[in-house]
Amino acid sequence: MSVVFRAENIHTYYGKSHILHGVSMEVREGELVALLGRNGAGKTTTMRSIMGLTPPREGSINIFGNNTTKWAPYRIAQSGVGYVPEGRKIFGHLTVHENLLVPPVTKGKWQIDTVYKLFPRLDERRTSKGGKLSGGEQEMLSIARALLLNPKFLILDEPSQGLAPVIVQEVMRTVGKMKDEGIAVLLVEQNVFLALQLADRAYVLSDGEIVYDGTAADLDSDRERMESLAGISHA
Amino acid sequence: MLVILFNAFNGLIQGAFYALMAVGLSLILGLNGVINFAHGGFMAMAAYFAYTLVPYVGFWGALIIAPILAGGVGYVVEQLIVRRLYLRDPLYSLLATFGLALIIQDLLRTIWGAQGVPLAIPDFLNQPLSQVYFFLTGYRLFVVALAIISTTGLFAILRFTRLGIRIRAGNSDLETIAAVGVNIYLLRSANFVLGIMFAGLAGILAAGQIGLTPTMGDELIMPSFVAIVVGGVGSLLGSLVGGLIIGVASGVTAAVYPAATEVIIYVIMGIMLVARPRGLFGQEGLLE
Repeated sequence: MSVVFRAENIHTYYGKSHILHGVSMEVREGELVALLGRNGAGKTTTMRSIMGLTPPREGSINIFGNNTTKWAPYRIAQSGVGYVPEGRKIFGHLTVHENLLVPPVTKGKWQIDTVYKLFPRLDERRTSKGGKLSGGEQEMLSIARALLLNPKFLILDEPSQGLAPVIVQEVMRTVGKMKDEGIAVLLVEQNVFLALQLADRAYVLSDGEIVYDGTAADLDSDRERMESLAGISHA
Repeated sequence: MLVILFNAFNGLIQGAFYALMAVGLSLILGLNGVINFAHGGFMAMAAYFAYTLVPYVGFWGALIIAPILAGGVGYVVEQLIVRRLYLRDPLYSLLATFGLALIIQDLLRTIWGAQGVPLAIPDFLNQPLSQVYFFLTGYRLFVVALAIISTTGLFAILRFTRLGIRIRAGNSDLETIAAVGVNIYLLRSANFVLGIMFAGLAGILAAGQIGLTPTMGDELIMPSFVAIVVGGVGSLLGSLVGGLIIGVASGVTAAVYPAATEVIIYVIMGIMLVARPRGLFGQEGLLE
């Protein structure tokens, strides 16, 4: 299996605070990888480093064989990385349809009409302002917007945050579907139970360092270890 | 009564210039995050381009080509200077664009001279349309019409094209449009050029009315900022309406109490800032 994404020993800062202390990880073709850890562990910073939004000061990031460490975010996205940011970040004063016109047109399966087919709810709400949507609808819009880049690598930052359990199930089903389509997925989740159900492998971050690197199943079966590693529980 | 009407109409013309300037300033402030003090310089520059072009391509040709040329200069300036200001402290952009304004002004003076020159407009536009309402010349109506058409065109671009939708999305969240694949460097350049072209249009129209001087932009730049504040920072419609309001208000004041012609717009701004800090159409929370 070829490597889609690899971070090597990255150090990322916000101003003077040192957030990531030498994180190394990779996602291979066809894999769904979970990135876990408690609040403030550096999960979102890792995602932002991958997208070039907060580029690492040291270390390197490789995506699809390119060294993207110093690339501008739009170039990383256009190379085939779909990003579903924390808090969804949809454009609230734009309509659903306008939100979908923001990403560039790319070749491939995912076009505006096909994402509407994937999420019929968005089709019904085309002319609604993004800010008027429910949390679940906003999440779908954020995923749809990322899919329009026809990504080969999809990164999702806490897609289940603040959603009702039923909606979480639906979002996770969609994430699983993306994996089945052959898209490599990196999933940041607070909902460890769900994430480990879906994932092939998992990383656990703690204070900006990787403290677990292994299969999702191993971590899932060793509850005690999971709790001691990152203070995450199965509740 | 006729005097008031005359002055109100004069004010409306003046307001159309403020509005075109303010719309361009507002565009640039929104996406580029730069308060462009050089806007008046670009305005005058386009007017001089038109002045030079009229003998070759006529008034109508100059009206189209000169704003595009000014936009071209705007592109170069954005690449060389303005893009270095993004994400920095606003003080840098104030200083840099203020310096740029002075440089443009002196360049215009060096090339075309400090003396005012007239811009030739087609004869048929100069005829009064009515004996009673003598101030209604074709040119003045033309100015109002073109201001309306060009801003309507801009609103259509912002509403219906991907370029416009991205500008609107970028105004609220530049980082996220970049993360979903929009080349924000190109988008900001295009937006800057668009704003400069509006300044250029204002310059040519104003030149046809009041003639050209290298400092013609100076008298328009401050009222244009006032128009933005009155209309609401972040709202293009607000900039348009704000420009027209302060133009008419200052026109009417000229008839009623001439000494207050200049100060009235700042009084309006002051009242607005106290009564409704976000302006007529501004987003809530931006200034409150």
